[in-house]
Amino acid sequence: MPMLYCPFRKSYDAMGVHPLLIWLLVLIVNLAAFAGVCAGADDPYLAELLNRAAERQLHRERAWEVLLHYRPRGDERESLVDDPRFFLAPEGKTDPEAELSATLRSLFSSEASGDEHPRCRFPARAAWLAEELAIDAGHLPPMACPQLDEALAAVNPRSAVLVFPAAHPNGPASMFGHTLLRVGSTYRSDLLSYAVNYASHTTDTNGIVYAFKGIFGGYSGYYSILPYYEKVREYNDLEHRDVWEYPLTLAPDEVRRMVLHIWELRGIASDYYFFDENCSFNLLFLLEAARPELRLAEEFWDRSSFWVMPADTVAVIGRAGLIEKQAYRPAQATRILRRASLLPPDARHEALQTALSPQRAQAVAASSRPVEERRQILNLAAEYVQYRYSRKELEQPEFQRQFLEVLKVRSPLGPDESDAGEVPVPPAPETGHLPGRIGLGGGYRHDTPFVEASIRPAYHALMDADEGYSPHSQIIFAEAVGRYYPERHSIRLQRFSAVDIVSLAPRDEFFKPISWKVNGGLFRRPFADGADRLFLRLNTGGGMAWPVPGNGVAYGMAELDLNLSDRLRDKAVLGAGVSAGVIVSPADCWKVALSGSAFAYGLQYHEYYRLALEQNLALSRTLGLGLTASWERSFDRSRAEALLMVNRYF
Amino acid sequence: MKRALLAVAITVVTAASAFAASGKANTGCGLGTVLWKGRADSSVFSQALQATTNQTFGTQTFGITSGTLECGTPGKVVQNERLNHFVRANMDNLARDIAQGRGESLDAFAELLQVPADKRPGFYAALQSNFASVFTSENVVVAEVIDNAVALAN
Repeated sequence: MPMLYCPFRKSYDAMGVHPLLIWLLVLIVNLAAFAGVCAGADDPYLAELLNRAAERQLHRERAWEVLLHYRPRGDERESLVDDPRFFLAPEGKTDPEAELSATLRSLFSSEASGDEHPRCRFPARAAWLAEELAIDAGHLPPMACPQLDEALAAVNPRSAVLVFPAAHPNGPASMFGHTLLRVGSTYRSDLLSYAVNYASHTTDTNGIVYAFKGIFGGYSGYYSILPYYEKVREYNDLEHRDVWEYPLTLAPDEVRRMVLHIWELRGIASDYYFFDENCSFNLLFLLEAARPELRLAEEFWDRSSFWVMPADTVAVIGRAGLIEKQAYRPAQATRILRRASLLPPDARHEALQTALSPQRAQAVAASSRPVEERRQILNLAAEYVQYRYSRKELEQPEFQRQFLEVLKVRSPLGPDESDAGEVPVPPAPETGHLPGRIGLGGGYRHDTPFVEASIRPAYHALMDADEGYSPHSQIIFAEAVGRYYPERHSIRLQRFSAVDIVSLAPRDEFFKPISWKVNGGLFRRPFADGADRLFLRLNTGGGMAWPVPGNGVAYGMAELDLNLSDRLRDKAVLGAGVSAGVIVSPADCWKVALSGSAFAYGLQYHEYYRLALEQNLALSRTLGLGLTASWERSFDRSRAEALLMVNRYF
Repeated sequence: MKRALLAVAITVVTAASAFAASGKANTGCGLGTVLWKGRADSSVFSQALQATTNQTFGTQTFGITSGTLECGTPGKVVQNERLNHFVRANMDNLARDIAQGRGESLDAFAELLQVPADKRPGFYAALQSNFASVFTSENVVVAEVIDNAVALAN
């Protein structure tokens, strides 16, 4: 395919449509719109409306800027929507006034009819203009919008809920989580409401390509509306992610306005950026469309933050006073853990065996156990069969056979007497510490005192309080640690972690996850000449973890370690080693970790050992106290160190 | 009339969901056929941001439809459309709830069937004790069970 320079950004299309075709289409659409604009220009009533709109400077109204997603930059305006079909004026993306005039004209146009008419395509704009200018409907051409009416009848918008699927426990890559909206109707059951989702449209299955394109805006994002139960199944049952719901204090007419605006965004593409112009950020526009006086997106423009995290958007929406309470929807895996924890060990084992060979279900039902215990064993077995299917450990026919076999035996035992399926609500994501961390402290290294300062833009370290985060996981981006040694008057970079991810996932009878880690950056350790030298390090490992009492975890890993430095004889060494440790939480705000690792490096052969005892005391959401005592041995030189840090989260 | 409509609806539902996977995105047929829609779920990046739905709002009527809505008037037909889609997409959770005698999917199902709140305990009990005859290939039995329960509810 020849390289084409397009005046607008190429929209990524799974069908592989030639950009030239799109360009032609855009041209036609624009010409059609333009023709429509010219058609009604001689209507005196329309001329009067255009005058009134110009006099009142309607295009500067907040509501108009929200509906067109204009981003103010001084006096300049540019819409964040990249799709030309979203604009009725050719220069609409950067000219609010031209766009408003074109929209007004289009309302009187008789070019298109029915669902394709601008009045049906842009009902939120039409409604707002009609209200602001008190447009007499008698002057407008008669218009029916069957598709829109049908959609409004189906969705029946009454209320809105912010939905936040939390991170996957063993997939820190999902740490950003996701956010979507749920539009409640008159149905009592939440499952029967609709979800409004903004997501990138991708068919790429290669993770690297996906990440690269995602970061640099190679995907288009689209809004979609679909039954909420499909999203619940996706997050709770397939991905095993807990979901948090925050009912918003929007009135029914505000929610209706929001849905009309979502209709305007149907099939409209915007370039999708994982980190900032992502799902969370784009939902803010919808809330502003519901209530234009809200100023939510600006928070992110004003602070030049590199990313927009779903938890941040929850906080922004909370600060705007839109959230009054929250609800929790546990993932199926969470429910299985809960059910298992309530059964005595032999019954738990029986449930597992029944799930693996369902012909045992009959024997369970006929056993002499108390009837409630028999019910709960079979409930747990049934859920575990579903879990195995979701993990693709079972093929579909096999799943159906096993699942029905367990359920058939379960049903005659009657309703549950206990609430084993109800999971106690854990601390909500927004109650945890803030993701940024800045620290100041000091200590001794091998009898030399030093002062240490550290900054971490994001996100969560193993030693930070787990409340509101996935337990036993760590995701650190761009953490820099500097030291000042007063005796030598030297300031030096102690460490820079570009990325440092650890996922310790405890194994039990039911779940057998793999724990893993990957990190890279600049580190310091003693070299052959005895000095602490900075070197580039890439380190990864995999292993297993098990639960220990006190909300703790014990783990062991096999690791690979690549060190690069001019000070090394061969510029690089590759090492292999093991690490192990235990982390316990004797009290809610107190964590203690003991860890050890041993590596042997090839080429310039040497060994490295490290032992560390770390403690962290969470004093509040924004304050923590860390104490670390460590010992390391590298190139046959040992160094002991003690460090006390005060950390502030922001 | 109401009973006849329900019977038809349920028969359609269960017949359509004779345990076979359909190629439709976002809808499953039979017990739990929610598929990954070709997503690389083994890739950690695919968990980073859910790149999912191929359905854009509108042309497919929000993805609620399993066919085309050929009626201009929402109401009963939309109700049944919803019922069909809901049961197909939630078949396994619904089966589990029915076997346990309670649950969110069952509540939603009863609401779609317009079973009044005070009649639900009896409705759930009837479903639970007839589980084996509900979840067989004898689709008619499903219609009868629900029909009878609705009859009891009126």
